[in-house]
Amino acid sequence: MSEDFNNNKTIQAQSSETISGGGAGVTPDMDYVRPAEIPDQDLYHGHSFITKWVFCQDAKVIGVQYFLTAVFTGIIGLILSWLMRLQLGFPGLAGFMTAEHYYQFVTMHGMIMVVYFLTALFLGGFGNYLIPLMVGARDMVFPYVNMVSYWMFFVAVGVLMASFFVPGGPTGSGWTLYPPQAILEGTPGSGMGILLMLISLSLFVIGFTMGGLNYLITVLQARTRGMTLMRMPLTVWGIFTATVLAMLAFPALLVSSIMMTLDKVLGTSFFMPTILKAGEVLEYGGGSPILFQHLFWFFGHPEVYIVALPAFGIVSDLISVHSRKNIFGYRMMVWAIVGIGALSFFVWAHHMYVSGMNPWFGFFFATTTLIIAVPTAMKVYNWILTLWRGNIRLNTVMLWCLGFIVTFVNGGITGIFLGNVTVDVPLSDTYFVIAHFHMVMGIAPLMVIMGAVYHWFPLVAGRMLDEGLGKWHFWLTFLGAYSIYFPMHYLGFIGVPRRYFEMYDSPYMTSAVGMNEFISLAAFIVGAAQFILIYNIIKSLKEGERAGKNPWKANSLEWFTSTVPPEHGNFGDRLPVVHRWPYDYSVPGSKEDFMPQTTPPSAVVDTEVEKT
Amino acid sequence: MHAGIIFFLVILGSVLFHIFTPWYWTDIASNWKSMDDTITLTFWVGGGVFVAVCLFMVYCVFKFSYKEDRKAEYKPEDKKLERILTWATTLGVAALLAPGLIVWNQYVNVPKNAIEIDVMAWQWGWQYRLPGEDKKLGTTQVQNINDNNPFGINLDDPYGKDDVLIQSDVINLKNNRPVKILLRSVDVLHNWYVPQFRAKMDAVPGVVTYYWFEPNKIGEYEVLCAEYCGVGHYAMRGGVIVQDEQEYNQWLGEQETFSELIAKQKVIEFKEKRLVKK
Amino acid sequence: MSEQKIVDYEFKPGFKGMAKDTGSDQTMFKGVHWGKAMMWIFLLSDTFVFSCFLISYMKGRASTPVEWPNPSEVFALDAFGVPVPLLLIAIMTFVLITSSGTMALAVKYGYERNRKMCGWLVLATAIGGLTFVGMQAFEWSKLIHEGVRPWENPFGAPQFGSFFFMITGFHGTHVSIGVIFLFIYAYKVFAGHYDEQKRGWFTTMKGDYVEIEILGLYWHFVDLVWVFIFAFFYLW
Repeated sequence: MSEDFNNNKTIQAQSSETISGGGAGVTPDMDYVRPAEIPDQDLYHGHSFITKWVFCQDAKVIGVQYFLTAVFTGIIGLILSWLMRLQLGFPGLAGFMTAEHYYQFVTMHGMIMVVYFLTALFLGGFGNYLIPLMVGARDMVFPYVNMVSYWMFFVAVGVLMASFFVPGGPTGSGWTLYPPQAILEGTPGSGMGILLMLISLSLFVIGFTMGGLNYLITVLQARTRGMTLMRMPLTVWGIFTATVLAMLAFPALLVSSIMMTLDKVLGTSFFMPTILKAGEVLEYGGGSPILFQHLFWFFGHPEVYIVALPAFGIVSDLISVHSRKNIFGYRMMVWAIVGIGALSFFVWAHHMYVSGMNPWFGFFFATTTLIIAVPTAMKVYNWILTLWRGNIRLNTVMLWCLGFIVTFVNGGITGIFLGNVTVDVPLSDTYFVIAHFHMVMGIAPLMVIMGAVYHWFPLVAGRMLDEGLGKWHFWLTFLGAYSIYFPMHYLGFIGVPRRYFEMYDSPYMTSAVGMNEFISLAAFIVGAAQFILIYNIIKSLKEGERAGKNPWKANSLEWFTSTVPPEHGNFGDRLPVVHRWPYDYSVPGSKEDFMPQTTPPSAVVDTEVEKT
Repeated sequence: MHAGIIFFLVILGSVLFHIFTPWYWTDIASNWKSMDDTITLTFWVGGGVFVAVCLFMVYCVFKFSYKEDRKAEYKPEDKKLERILTWATTLGVAALLAPGLIVWNQYVNVPKNAIEIDVMAWQWGWQYRLPGEDKKLGTTQVQNINDNNPFGINLDDPYGKDDVLIQSDVINLKNNRPVKILLRSVDVLHNWYVPQFRAKMDAVPGVVTYYWFEPNKIGEYEVLCAEYCGVGHYAMRGGVIVQDEQEYNQWLGEQETFSELIAKQKVIEFKEKRLVKK
Repeated sequence: MSEQKIVDYEFKPGFKGMAKDTGSDQTMFKGVHWGKAMMWIFLLSDTFVFSCFLISYMKGRASTPVEWPNPSEVFALDAFGVPVPLLLIAIMTFVLITSSGTMALAVKYGYERNRKMCGWLVLATAIGGLTFVGMQAFEWSKLIHEGVRPWENPFGAPQFGSFFFMITGFHGTHVSIGVIFLFIYAYKVFAGHYDEQKRGWFTTMKGDYVEIEILGLYWHFVDLVWVFIFAFFYLW
């Protein structure tokens, strides 16, 4: 097997780079970077098709595998949302749609989009692809475990999809899976459906733990020379913090899944009080349904930030690159990410203000929730202050970023409504909630994903995506999604409750029939618009313009690989050495408007660069 | 440039939509106007921030879009500006939080003169129980529930005997008199919610939860279940009729108490036995 | 990754120095093996799993309407005709903690490249773990024999059985997994895989005695968790 390793890679320079050129003020050790602390990683290079593309240990391939699998489940989630909107906008039009089906679609749409689409896409997809490249590592630190992580995820998706085909269908208990109804008759899929869901979630958690350990150790222990924590791109900070959250929040999901599985299979009563069903008292008793809610939301709220923090990080990088300006207040941005992450463990019960828990908790959780608004607001200010006095390229990537700012600010502000305990009372469990979380953790992160796809596709595929198609894609998606969710808040003001299969002739709904039809039509268009991207990708893979190296003139390390797209091992013979943060754009005195992280100080002595 | 215009139109459209929307709150029919006020306050502060941030963004797009010969400003940090923004935001957030907490304090503290109502929920329906002349509800247990004792009242509890039982999904309330809604469920989670009253709380099996409000507008309202409870969730409706004191007392007088129900059942049983003997 | 040396890294004094060291380039934990760092973070995550279990247990015990059984009666064992409370559990705890000691010694001899001693001590740890699992199986069957089930319990609240079987079962699974790995590692030590830096079967990573320490971390953790379970189930 030894021929699979190239152990004879050049050993890294043991002293600092030699200094070439001699402008004014060059001192011999100004480019000094400490010699390597860690030996070069020894990598297993696959040779056969199977080891190269299927059971592959290259983080970049695993990233793409994660991405494609997540997108596949996302498309299923999208189709489910179409079916739901069909029922809500035009009740009775689809003859097969029963209340059971509707609730199953609602549940599966929610769970797929939150866990199997967004989480897997951001951490598994972007995390795997970008972390080693951005911190200057050859690969993730445990490539084999990383591979197993993906295949675990694959099996979890398989189990989830299998639940569509079991007797009784998938679970229809809402994505929150609240007991007692999740495992009792009267809820669709309370037999095999809920079991498969719980098993799939457990597998997801196990698989994710393997991946998460990789992301964390790669960031903590395998950076390249000169890459200090405060020189990492915000993308890495976002994904890193989100992974920490995931490692600490998923345990609660795992435990609640195990306990609910036992309640279902063995008849224990962890979450099951005495229940009277169809005139008979069931054999349960003494359990607490609210305990499940606490466990679930202890996972569920950090989960929101597991999706949001990578989006924050990525969008910061995209905005900075495409407005040719340093990110404003980098340190504030880092501390905001870390602070939001830490606070997110103390706010979970704001999902439970009207759940029947002790109402005195409301004071505490309203306060912590609103405290989170402060670092979040700081991030928003810093994004727009990065645009300010920049040199903004209004290309597709930037459009997605601007779309993100609008939708995120909108969704963030409605979050203040729902986090402030009193304001939540009339609005909770109405369409206001639906509109809020779709805007803030559906559309806003999706905008970032799309921007990131347009930004990094040239790196992954070596070809540019078509700008014209991209702009059509953006405007249809942004305007469509905004016109779905902005008016939807007002349904919530009326008091229309969520998870209603139909409203009959209730006074709350009859006044909003027109709006529901409009929202449904917009949803069909937005969904269909996503296929523009798929067409664009296929077209560009075949005939797109060749990207070459660093097409966006960016600073961060992923654009300085030995080949485009990068090969296994990323950086050729020698790992890059980092001398600065990734945001030195438009430095006064420099000829170019960007300064790669690898630029040594001696090469730019005449510029007014700030020391980082 | 076009992008800036479209984004501007989106912001303008949002504001206009809010001004001209035909969809807004139902007329309030309870004492919780303070909740509406906190929403309005949050709306103006939040809406203001949204419009300001987005307009600033649009301004940047117009003013600073790409030119070959221009160089962006290089300014990694501006401590003073960051500090000002942090404090301003903190103040704004505190200003929103304080009224919220004050109103929440009213929400969790029930006035002394509130009438207690036991709201019992199951898949999928409601029924109600009012205290009798002793002003106290009898204790209950799920195991006791049967055809003869639809509310599961403990038979040895003296307070339960005179409880008024309303085996219908419509309840009458006295105008301008606070009510404390005691929620219980015999199977899964439910939530007794009337949009006009604004307030809501989940009914959780195994425990009794509560909230209160004071209806202050005579009329008939629809009750919705606001916590997903299975396939019949959307059909789990009820009703509330708010009446003035006289009509309410008349209605209350026509309702059956628990002891009357037991007596009636005994008569029926007695008749049945006689029938069997014959 | 076998040898990691910190090349001329000087730790800086004071709180600010600590922050600087933490944020410095390449590694946050100087000289710490990747696998070891991974195990620490995994254990942190696992701590949350067990915390969730134990907090759920406390909540369940606090809110159950039926009375909780008295642990010193339920877990008593007849020794020579006299019921001795917590006898079995005391032996189990003793065995498990002893195995932690042998594990620590194995790590020491591993770093001294004393192949034989290290191997025997890992094997001893494995056997200690196996004994523990065996005794736990005995205790389970005793309770099951007496009529305790996950869904019911003749001594009181049914949640007692549910939580007991779930949490000790989950912990027992951890011990069992540890035992399997201990046997594998004992084989690897005896076969000299760590002396020759032989590559792993699956992971293709080079063997190194640090793996013994990593497994040791896991083993001590499982031990520590047992102390908490012991306190919460048997002494409360």
